[in-house]
Amino acid sequence: MNLDAISASENILRETTGFVFPNEIDVLWSIMIVVYPYLTGLVAGAFILASLVKIFKVRELQPTYRLSLLTALAFILIAPLPLVLHLGHPERSYEIFLTPQLGSAMAMFGFVYAWYLMVVLLLEIWFEYRRDMVIWARETKFPLSWIYRILSLFSNDLSQEGLNFDKRATRLITIIGIPSAFLLHGYVGFIFGSVKANPWWSSVLMPIVFLFSAIVSGIALVLILYMVLAPMRGEEINMKCLDRVAAFLFYAVIVDFSLEALDFIHRLYESEESIHILSELIVNKLFLSLVVIQILLGMIVPLAMLAGIRIFRANAELRKLIYFVSAILIQLGIFSVRWNVVIGGQMFSKSFRGLTTYKMEMLGLEGLLLALVLLALPLVILAVLLRFFPPTGSPAKDLSAST
Amino acid sequence: MRKLPDSLVRLLIVIAGLASVVLCIRFLVLPRSLTDMELHKQSAVERELEKPIQFAGSGICQECHEDEPATLAAGYHSTLSCETCHGPAQAHIDDFEYKPKAPRQRDFCPVCHMYDPSRPTGFPQINPIAHNPLLPCIECHDPHDPVPPETPRSCEACHAEIARMKAVSHHVQLECKVCHEATNEHMLHPRAEKPTKPANREFCGSCHAEDSDTVATPHIDLKTHGGRYLCWQCHYPHFPEAS
Repeated sequence: MNLDAISASENILRETTGFVFPNEIDVLWSIMIVVYPYLTGLVAGAFILASLVKIFKVRELQPTYRLSLLTALAFILIAPLPLVLHLGHPERSYEIFLTPQLGSAMAMFGFVYAWYLMVVLLLEIWFEYRRDMVIWARETKFPLSWIYRILSLFSNDLSQEGLNFDKRATRLITIIGIPSAFLLHGYVGFIFGSVKANPWWSSVLMPIVFLFSAIVSGIALVLILYMVLAPMRGEEINMKCLDRVAAFLFYAVIVDFSLEALDFIHRLYESEESIHILSELIVNKLFLSLVVIQILLGMIVPLAMLAGIRIFRANAELRKLIYFVSAILIQLGIFSVRWNVVIGGQMFSKSFRGLTTYKMEMLGLEGLLLALVLLALPLVILAVLLRFFPPTGSPAKDLSAST
Repeated sequence: MRKLPDSLVRLLIVIAGLASVVLCIRFLVLPRSLTDMELHKQSAVERELEKPIQFAGSGICQECHEDEPATLAAGYHSTLSCETCHGPAQAHIDDFEYKPKAPRQRDFCPVCHMYDPSRPTGFPQINPIAHNPLLPCIECHDPHDPVPPETPRSCEACHAEIARMKAVSHHVQLECKVCHEATNEHMLHPRAEKPTKPANREFCGSCHAEDSDTVATPHIDLKTHGGRYLCWQCHYPHFPEAS
């Protein structure tokens, strides 16, 4: 720490009360660390929605199956970027693979990530799209045909036996994928939940709360994407599918809401010594982001809207509107969940006697602008993926050309 | 044996290819300093060692300066290193022309000694606005032996948190010495000689017992109230509960 930094910390120390040491007064985990669990959560949630089709045989959701998979892929490709940006030194990032440190949860991130990306998502998408890629390789012109040929690993097998194997493989990978998706996001919650020095984070419920909020955000995202993309492709929105997605969203929000309420009540009842500073934190620093956005706008309002739709039978147009608005509100709410966990956990002193403030950068390496770019980037990737791998696939008649 | 499906064979070839490339890089290409944990740690140490040294360390100053470190070691600031106040001093070791900073401004000492409720009670804390305004701290206190020039006149000088709490409580009129007996020795060596606390129930009873003649204080029956506990084991005397 150079002298400038020391005197800067001294200045902040004078402006704040309750902080004994200058080194705990800075909020070091910035908005980048907020974006990271948000993106990972979307990945896990989108995958869980996809698995409902393959494992739990929810046939109505078929129109969203491929979209969910591609969404998960697009978001997971960007998920580690905020971490790399926050840590700096991207040229050293591969070292976590070379010297695995089994005792450190943070150091295991690379392996959890690689497992999910390589073994689950890429494999499942490959098996799911192999038949289409073979057909597209035959029908398209150079250079597109070669791209498909390489991506399908020069596979040419369209026999019924081969296709049946693809189906079985997809199912098997989904079975592995569900615990893997739980692992991926449970892991992110674990990172926070296991910080025993921080009473705002330290909770065994944290991985489970993270997981269900992930499922909520992932389902809401796919619902939004489906409602936007289907009209753009000139398709009619499949209301049966949409109702079913919204129903699952409703159930997931209920479970998530109950878990968060349980966590809250548990903390209140336990009333550990930190309870005073945590109530100050909620009332003073997180009132807008936690009480208003996360709980009221992000949970209670969408829950009431989705429940209302189920009680009073509305027509299709009104249902679409309500689903869309609820899903947007839920996204806002889940982003606030991440914000409140990451930033909230750093806003009180370890002496439990004072609060600090997080001043977000706008243009810097850990600033708002870059965070918005990172949130938009997966959508760009998704647009490219959808261009090359349209979820509608290739027409079924091509099966007759099987070799 | 059943023939493996064509797609699986292709996939296995790719996975085997990828795995062998990764394994080749891991075991043949990468130097041991990157893959061996011990060597890796060592190279991290080397990398750190290459950074310019700024702090000279706590032991080196006394090789030239004799008096100040000796005074420091005997006083309340004995746990501080010279560089805590004087800043990084390696440049001074390399070239005596460079003089480390010697903070003389009034705003330096309050970094540790300004009143802050999170600091432990008994730790010397002042209110910089009220405490000898505008005078530099070193005018009265020698930072190498920071004993105050005179013994603190009031308990508040060190027990600021308790004093502030008492100031808004029902016990505001009571002076500290009504309940605590603090010898002069406590002012000089606060931790060696501690003040007393009320040792029996009758002490609080002198104001709060039923037969006490004080007015406007809550009165209780000492025989039935609170059992065998001392009053301050349940009631915090510096902020007794409202009526």
